[in-house]
Amino acid sequence: MSAVAPAAAMPAPLPAAERSSGLPLVVLLLLPIALVNAFGFLAPVFNLLRMSFYESQATGAMVEVYTFATWASVLRDSFYAELILNSILVSLGITLMTLVCSYPIALYLHRSSGTWRTILLVLVISPLLTSAVVRTYGWVAILSENGLVNNALGAIGIAPLKLMFNKTGVVIGLTEILMPYMILALLAGFGRLDPRVEEAASTLGAPPWKVFRHIVVPLTMPGIALGSLLCFVLAVSSFITPKLLGGGRVFLLATEIYDQAIVTLNWPLAATLSILVLVIFGGALVLYTRALRAIM
Amino acid sequence: MTSRTDAPEGFLSIRSLTKRYGDFVAVDNLDLEVPKGELVAFLGPSGCGKTTSLRMIAGLVPATSGRIVVGGGDLTEVATHRRDMGLVFQSYALFPHMSVARNVAFGLEMRKVDKGEIAKRVKEAIALVHLTGKEEHRPAQLSGGQQQRVALARALVIRPSILLLDEPLSNLDAKLRDEMRNEIRDIQKRLGITAIFVTHDQVEALTMCDKVVVMNQGRLEQLGTPVELYETPKTAFVASFVGRSNRLTAVARNGAAEFAGQRIAAPAGLEGPVQVMIRPHRLGLSPASPAAADPARQQVTGTVARAIFAGDILQYDVDVGGQIVSVELATRGGESVIEPGRPVTLSWRPQDIFIYGAAA
Ligand SMILES: Nc1ncnc2c1ncn2[C@@H]1O[C@H](COP(=O)(O)OP(=O)(O)OP(=O)(O)O)[C@@H](O)[C@H]1O
Ligand SMILES: [Mg+2]
Repeated sequence: MSAVAPAAAMPAPLPAAERSSGLPLVVLLLLPIALVNAFGFLAPVFNLLRMSFYESQATGAMVEVYTFATWASVLRDSFYAELILNSILVSLGITLMTLVCSYPIALYLHRSSGTWRTILLVLVISPLLTSAVVRTYGWVAILSENGLVNNALGAIGIAPLKLMFNKTGVVIGLTEILMPYMILALLAGFGRLDPRVEEAASTLGAPPWKVFRHIVVPLTMPGIALGSLLCFVLAVSSFITPKLLGGGRVFLLATEIYDQAIVTLNWPLAATLSILVLVIFGGALVLYTRALRAIM
Repeated sequence: MTSRTDAPEGFLSIRSLTKRYGDFVAVDNLDLEVPKGELVAFLGPSGCGKTTSLRMIAGLVPATSGRIVVGGGDLTEVATHRRDMGLVFQSYALFPHMSVARNVAFGLEMRKVDKGEIAKRVKEAIALVHLTGKEEHRPAQLSGGQQQRVALARALVIRPSILLLDEPLSNLDAKLRDEMRNEIRDIQKRLGITAIFVTHDQVEALTMCDKVVVMNQGRLEQLGTPVELYETPKTAFVASFVGRSNRLTAVARNGAAEFAGQRIAAPAGLEGPVQVMIRPHRLGLSPASPAAADPARQQVTGTVARAIFAGDILQYDVDVGGQIVSVELATRGGESVIEPGRPVTLSWRPQDIFIYGAAA
């Protein structure tokens, strides 16, 4: 992304003494974030990796003896393969829904200006000021068996729909919760969109939908890629909403990790699944960078 | 402004076209008839409404009022993509994510021209603007002038019924600009395209266009052939904008304009302050000797304030009653430069002087 300029590109007027200290400026500037990452990210991940090789006993106790048992059972058991696949598919579905719902809003926001734009932007961001728990309970009130939707349907004589304690509920809830992130990411990636270029396409004979398809979509690809990556990662790792709206009937990696760590107290298994989540994120990141290179 | 409604109907007919932004009038009641196959220049200073007019013709901004008619069909409410007009944007507006070849092919693809034909025409168009070899470059990899030529090729390749060019040559060097002018003129004539060419550059407007529209502050000041505009400018603005002119102020009374006690004939009906325009090279200059005056020429006397020998021309600034008049004489060899401070007589043919009411 062109928005992220490397720190080294900034000419920093340093006093002569510091410049001659031998350490290149890049290293100095990157040092703080490197330290934070080392202690706040790499160390815990390493810990997690180590823990995944510990032995767990049926009592829930963890013994510091190295074994491949947990990994072997996870990799062999089709339940976990299904869990991973399910998590990825549900998250992809959520990402797609979020993208479809957010794109028109982001496009409209991008094109509006002045006070109106500010008001809209505040409206878009304001859900982030409320916790996901509260917003999820909001969805419970709407989707549950005698919630808003089913009451309304009942009033006009339609049988109630099962909107909760299944994938539908999880997808609806997470889509709404992730929309602000998607909209902000899309807006950040809309820089290449230029109304003159769209006009040029229409003077060349492109009807509006072709302008959208051949000009708007390709030019907003950086935003689409960024927003999708962000939402996919957030969807895979979210567990409160799937827990409340899935009601224990939707099995996802994040909820399973929570159960193993807090309920079953099988920490090595929780650690193993967590590492798998990281692997999925790594895959998503690789796809993202590939996509970006193809777009640019 | 209603005087033009009886003009012969053109292929492109613009009727009382107006664009308002709030209280600001960007284009004010523009009337224009362009016959098929003609190249018309829009000439005017920055901000006079040239781009806005083109954008209304192309359907990119809705007109506040007025109509746009092409070949008898009213296009005022027709969407841009159905107007079959090629527009070269002042800012190029190339598709940044497409190669040069795909930029040029875009309009043909939208028209569902078959693949072989597209390839052939794209190749021709790119060769025409001297960009062969750059087909696979992205716009960001091209210089400003090269981008401008891609924009030109992209609009020409679709052979539109009307071609709108918004300063399409502004970023080219003198040689390339000359070449592109000829190319545009050639193609436009060969294909019989009706075209509007927006420019700041009066030389461009005068040399390559059939007619020139001079615009000022959203209004059409004058429409005419290059010769008409140059020889019979209708307003002081046109006289000063097309070619160069001395601009003097005088007071008109009883059919004569008077400055510094000297009188020259003025059109009847003018009273009070007037503007007098005369081109520097249409003035004659001789050492003060009124006796030798040519009765066919009008004259005033003044004193030389400055004399500059510039090789091809001899340039004088002459003080006439406190106003400076510049005079340019072609050198023929052997003339002596008249020293500053000497009295001289300025003379001109009556048809070379233009007198306008001060309001014009
Ligand atoms: N969207 C707009 N809102 C308000 N005013 C506008 C808008 N577009 C153009 N104008 C005004 O209309 C006037 C004419 O603009 P236009 O772009 O047509 O000028 P132009 O003749 O093409 O000038 P240039 O030679 O500098 O390109 C300008 O004064 C401009 O400020
Ligand atoms: Mg302009």
